[in-house]
Amino acid sequence: MRLSYTPIEFRSRDFYILSAILIALTIAGFSCFVISYLQGHQVLGTSNAIPWGMAIIITIYLIGLSAGSLILSSLTYVFGKEEYRLISRISVFLAVVLIFGAMVGISLDLGRPEKIWRLFIFFVLNNMRSMFAVNGILYGGYFAICLIYLGVIFAEKPKLTKKIGILAMIWAALVHMGTGAIFGFIAARPIFYSSIKPFEFVAAAMASGLALLIIVVIFAFKFAKRKFKKEPFFSLGKLLLAFIVILAVLVFIDKLTHLYSPHREPTVWLLTGPFSSIFWGLQVGCAYIIPILLLSHPRFKKRIGGLIVASFLVVIGIFFERFTLVIPATAHPMPFYPGKIEGMWGEVGHFPLTAIELLTSLGIFAITGLLFILGLKHLELLPIIERKEPIPASEERNG
Amino acid sequence: MVIDLDKCTGCQACTVACKEENNVPHGSPEEQRKRREIYWHKMIAVTQGKYPRVHTELIPMPCMHCDQAPCVTVCPAKATYRREDGIIVQDFRRCIGCKYCMVACPYGARSFNNKEQEKKEYHRRDSPPDRSVWGQWPFPTRTHGVVEKCTFCFHRIDQGVKEGKKIGIEVVPACVEDCPAMARSFGDLDDASSEVSRLLSSRSWIRLREDLDTKCKVYYLLK
Amino acid sequence: MDRRTFLKLSALTGAALGLNRVISPPSAMSSSAPLQIKPQKMTEVKWMNTSCLNCSARCGIRVRVINGQAVKITGNPFSLTSEGKACPRAHIGLQVLYDSERIGLPLKRRNREKGRGIDPQWVPISWDQALTEMANRLKSLREIAQAHKLLLFYGLNTRSAEDMISRFAEAFGTPNLISGNGLDEESEKSGNWMADGHYESCAYDLDRTQYLLLFGADLLESGKPLSRFLRKWGKLRREKPNRAKMIMIHPRYSVTAAKSDEWIPIHPGTDAALAMAIANVIIAEDLYDKNFLHHWTAGFDLYKKLVLGHYSPRAVSKITGIPSETIHRIAMEFAQVKPAIALRGRGAINWPEGSYTSYAIFCLNALVGSIDVPGGIIYQEHPRYKDLPPFAEDPIARKGKAQPFLDFRGTEKFSNAKVVTNQVPESISKNIPYPIEMAIGFNCNFNMSAPGAGRWDEALKKIPYYVHISPFVSEMALCADLILPSTTYLEEWGYDHSPPGSGFAEARIKQPVVKPYGEAKSPTDILFSLAKRMGGSVEKSFDHMGEDSEGFVKLRTSALMPWKEFLARGVWTGPEYKYRKYDRIFNTPSKKFEFFSGNLRSLLIKMGRRPEEDLNYLPHYEEANFLGEKESYPFILHPYQPLMTLENGSQNYPWAQEIFLPMHGIGWANLVEINSETAWRLKLKDREEVWVESPFGKIKARVKFSEGLHPQVVAIACGQGHYSYGRWQKGIGVNPNGLLGVDFDRISGQAVFFNTRVKIYKA
Repeated sequence: MRLSYTPIEFRSRDFYILSAILIALTIAGFSCFVISYLQGHQVLGTSNAIPWGMAIIITIYLIGLSAGSLILSSLTYVFGKEEYRLISRISVFLAVVLIFGAMVGISLDLGRPEKIWRLFIFFVLNNMRSMFAVNGILYGGYFAICLIYLGVIFAEKPKLTKKIGILAMIWAALVHMGTGAIFGFIAARPIFYSSIKPFEFVAAAMASGLALLIIVVIFAFKFAKRKFKKEPFFSLGKLLLAFIVILAVLVFIDKLTHLYSPHREPTVWLLTGPFSSIFWGLQVGCAYIIPILLLSHPRFKKRIGGLIVASFLVVIGIFFERFTLVIPATAHPMPFYPGKIEGMWGEVGHFPLTAIELLTSLGIFAITGLLFILGLKHLELLPIIERKEPIPASEERNG
Repeated sequence: MVIDLDKCTGCQACTVACKEENNVPHGSPEEQRKRREIYWHKMIAVTQGKYPRVHTELIPMPCMHCDQAPCVTVCPAKATYRREDGIIVQDFRRCIGCKYCMVACPYGARSFNNKEQEKKEYHRRDSPPDRSVWGQWPFPTRTHGVVEKCTFCFHRIDQGVKEGKKIGIEVVPACVEDCPAMARSFGDLDDASSEVSRLLSSRSWIRLREDLDTKCKVYYLLK
Repeated sequence: MDRRTFLKLSALTGAALGLNRVISPPSAMSSSAPLQIKPQKMTEVKWMNTSCLNCSARCGIRVRVINGQAVKITGNPFSLTSEGKACPRAHIGLQVLYDSERIGLPLKRRNREKGRGIDPQWVPISWDQALTEMANRLKSLREIAQAHKLLLFYGLNTRSAEDMISRFAEAFGTPNLISGNGLDEESEKSGNWMADGHYESCAYDLDRTQYLLLFGADLLESGKPLSRFLRKWGKLRREKPNRAKMIMIHPRYSVTAAKSDEWIPIHPGTDAALAMAIANVIIAEDLYDKNFLHHWTAGFDLYKKLVLGHYSPRAVSKITGIPSETIHRIAMEFAQVKPAIALRGRGAINWPEGSYTSYAIFCLNALVGSIDVPGGIIYQEHPRYKDLPPFAEDPIARKGKAQPFLDFRGTEKFSNAKVVTNQVPESISKNIPYPIEMAIGFNCNFNMSAPGAGRWDEALKKIPYYVHISPFVSEMALCADLILPSTTYLEEWGYDHSPPGSGFAEARIKQPVVKPYGEAKSPTDILFSLAKRMGGSVEKSFDHMGEDSEGFVKLRTSALMPWKEFLARGVWTGPEYKYRKYDRIFNTPSKKFEFFSGNLRSLLIKMGRRPEEDLNYLPHYEEANFLGEKESYPFILHPYQPLMTLENGSQNYPWAQEIFLPMHGIGWANLVEINSETAWRLKLKDREEVWVESPFGKIKARVKFSEGLHPQVVAIACGQGHYSYGRWQKGIGVNPNGLLGVDFDRISGQAVFFNTRVKIYKA
């Protein structure tokens, strides 16, 4: 099968409306960022009890999506599976756009964004024992590698692509393991503290990245009114099922470990307290159980609709997985001394979602989305399948 | 630092003296509800038991200046680091406000400046003595977007060292100096003749969160 | 720092200050004159000695002043009373001084209507106008020979200002000089007087004591002088070879109780019974100090008979709720650990029978021989300031002072009272014994601090002309016709000495560490100006007194030490304390410590009462009369004063507000504290809003479940509930004093705070 890639000529009114909304949200988000920069973080919902808010949640979510997406491109470029070639370019471009969004997100979370350059003076101005600093190297390198990867793909050099693909795949895994390590190595917050956090994060990245990819590619094809083969997607559905199962197992092991002493109170509180509905409903239900049921059910797994619904649920659910990691871990009061700590020092933190924080969050998503659809419009990302008949095996090898 | 909980009277002069000494901003009812008030030093009340066999321990908590500080490990910009004499420094120039240290600190010692703080008539405006401390110099106030915490009044310690004064006897942090019960001591743990060494060898002591092995340097003597 | 940097810095500072003024909401009350910063070539740093006045302890402090701005307050090491330490309130003095909502000019009321929520429509006027107006009113009162119709209130002022106010009252001719003492500890003084003839609170020799038995005494929160108690607590615990032991008997688990070795919850109002039961055990076990009792006491036999006959631990256990084994054990400890002191606090003695309770507890000290010994109760020495020239008294003044007292002190109603502060509103409202024409209040705020606070609003409304002197518009000032801006204690001249005390005398200077705010004047200077305008004998009485506040202080303290030295040191310390002055210390008929109060008996006989039964002159327990029926109002209200409550009438200080309730880890509020079991039975939820209602009023606040409260007690902290001014206090919290009914200890006139019953229900 020969695939040729052409930009999508979006002319429809829907496209312009979508762009307009995304541009408006981006501008709104940016203005809110300016407000929070001038007035300080008092306009956000963070506090001394819960220092990390939506910006961090979105950042790690986007990094996960990006890493997952990039690793999936290796199916074709590294492992040579041709049936997935139709998603491969988009997956790399998606990875680039998402990591850009994540870096925007990080700069929004910083108290002094103008000093963000300090994160990139490795070894000299950075404390390399900090996972945050290590992640600086990883993200910086990752962005560069993604761009190079994309460039090499556009230049259509398969051997070089394979080499860079291997590097990119490993680097992407390290990137998100690094993100997981940021949380996993903090002993002060028992919900964070776990050595499988890096692996949990990679599994979440794979699951969410794949789910997003499925949705994005299918919708891109539909918007472009191009035909596509359904079989690769069903195989991806099986792969997604595997990823979700692995993720669910890892999360289960992590939570089960934390239910044993010492320091089980925060986890018990997470599972039974005010955040339990989000945990059980949106994380476990949305991200694991229902998609697993959908993707393994004989009736739904063979329908694109079923696949799309499952992927949507995974994408939403994993966002809330990030949420239930970051917020409850810091909201739960720390046990400075045994006994009941009176007053504000023993109280659960509150995280109100202010309008500015909400708009800023939407702005991050909006700019990511905007860049993505501009890419679809101007770059050769989406394939057009030139022949619909089944092709002889010999030709397949050449493609 | 050694805090004797038997001598301590729970008066909170330490908290107020710290605010006074270091121009720490005060909050408001709104800010306390939202947990945004800045405390370099706080006193917590921990209750155990039921009426009438109740016990409340009042525990003053400065920054613990841990020898294995989690905050030092996680700061990406080297804005917080351990000085040679053991004080954990906070450099406001380098701080990018990522709040990783706040998440990592097990003692809740760190606070974030989420707005530009008002200048008060009673703020001191001392200038830094030399360039080496420009980044850490806390006066008159810190900008918004950076994390701040107790500094063991390093400005007093450094000045004292320069003037050849005895640290722990003639020069102490504000909370130690202004404790009316004289329940707090400060000094060199490595110096066997210091008051802190004497206290730690003669009484039972605990540190908070030993389970996290932060090797913190604030010791509590029990009742 | 070089010149350019300094100039930049001062320009920035000036701009910042100016900016502060621009940003703060403009009000007619703020001064037109900005704070002065002295133009100088160098940064001027100095430490100045003065003394604090955020409560009546008046501790010695040092203030660091940079370029005319106060930036740091700490203790004065020359003050032996506190050994150079200061309590937290001393540091908050910076916020008292730089309270941006102070007034800088005299304010005249334009709106004739008075009341809560009514805008007085203050108009700034000049000092000249204000003083002239006042002087004219005062003069007209004297012209019609009605000098007694001037009422003078004073709350927390320097001793020097108090001396000036008394002199003014004497020269003017009014007997109606009302201090806030009637809200404080009069019953303690009266109980002491019944035993040893000293109408004064006790001092304690804390350095050497080994055992403190605290009856409702929140030493570490509201004890005075607080800095001394805080310092000595530390010393008693770990700076002696033998660690001292502290036992707290109190319905509430306060900070003091938490830091003591044992907390014994007691049914409110029954401390006298407990004291008598302890005496019972001590006498029964033959552990009393026979030497002291034999040589230096009188009336012991009558006392012993009463104690042994009526106050067995078992009987008292039913009254107090304390197990008799505990009573026995405590009594044995108290008697055998020497030296031991039994202390009283407001919680035990601000009750209707407070004088007797105070007497009963005081007698315990005598039983174990802790009177005027090292480690025991000691008698406060006072600085002997230079005598003032005799004041000029004209016939108008003589006539005025011969009139009956407005507060019925020393009458049958309050036989031994020196001041009955909380009687005044009733007297004014009912025009008894005569109507009041004019009043001047100096730094007082009884509308917040007195029980039944609403009555004060009504009473002050009635007074035709009321002048209030304070640095801010307090709740009491809201009822005024004229407000004169007073300096805070950091801006004025004065001399002070603490209430008992350290035993040895100590006088402390007050000197301005910064220039006064706006056109504020100290009360002393105001009186000097007023006297000059009065003319006649009043003016004459203020001649040769130093001409102004600085001169006055210089004059009075000249008998203590040279002026320059006093300025430099900040304190004058009296001679070392001498113990065991038994031959001259007891001002009683028998010249001994009396278990049967000859003083009281003589007084009542002099007042025309028949000698009544002996019980009236012995310490004893009488069941307290509660205000409110038990069935409708099942709980007893316990308003307490946490450490962070300042006593200057304002709470507009964020450093105090932020950490207001340390036992509950919150600030900016007060809570309705209730025993958790009781709360659960009432089906309340922790931190939900509830109404607390007494027969006299109701307030709404959040309830707090506590393990540290007697099951029938509801505790609310005082100091919140301000409604007059203050960004940091207005509308915050509630004032429990508003719920209290009006009751008195009939012997001392002490206002009762703890016998009002309340009920609680969901809001």
